[in-house]
Amino acid sequence: MTEIVEPELERFTRGDISAFEALFREYQGQVYRWIIQIVHDSGVAEDLTIETFWRIYRARTRFDPRRSFAAWARRIATNLALEHLSRRPPEKLLDNGFPIPAPAAGTPDPAISADICVKVLAALEELPAKLRVAVTLAMIEERPYAEIADALGISTNGVKSRVFRAIRLLRKNLEKRGVRS
Amino acid sequence: MKEQDEALKALLQRAAPGPADRELKHDLWPEMCRRLERPPVRIPWGDWVLAAAFLLCLILFPMTIPAVLYLL
Repeated sequence: MTEIVEPELERFTRGDISAFEALFREYQGQVYRWIIQIVHDSGVAEDLTIETFWRIYRARTRFDPRRSFAAWARRIATNLALEHLSRRPPEKLLDNGFPIPAPAAGTPDPAISADICVKVLAALEELPAKLRVAVTLAMIEERPYAEIADALGISTNGVKSRVFRAIRLLRKNLEKRGVRS
Repeated sequence: MKEQDEALKALLQRAAPGPADRELKHDLWPEMCRRLERPPVRIPWGDWVLAAAFLLCLILFPMTIPAVLYLL
């Protein structure tokens, strides 16, 4: 991906709509992919992408063109995704959030049945949004801790701590449902 | 512990892999334009007056605060 050059970013901070359009077209896919790995829903990810750029446009005067636009956009997108997960009613996730995968055919140990998947999803859903995002990005999406820390606006140790707490809580939630991990 | 974490990771990845296709299907710019053109939400002046009156009541009669909190 080509990084947008500084003069373009400067024009954007001054409110130039064509510079904003260039930025939007360059980064919309990247922002969308970042959001969808948190919310796991294409429709929501599209809405949140629009909302992310709307907030970016409103906050344009506060942006320093010497800094990374992608990192700034990712942080705003993460905050919005977190807000969305915090507001969402719990049952929504099982309706259209995560698809429940069928156990892979031919696997020697088909231990992960659809029933276990449902229980794992329910246990994940029970986590507070901040912990859920940390564990989703770190363990499901396998994103580097530094990248997660940057997107959440916390230190790498902060991310490690959230993942650690999330794992502990997840185990407790799974045990409650009779799943040993 | 490390092995248990790996087992949990595998379980999570299997149970919640997320959508397989993560590419944006269409350009969102037209929608963004509509969002930019939408007029900002304006709060009617009557609402400001009501909010100010409510705040004034709370300042003048602080004993009502617990009752308000209870009703919320």
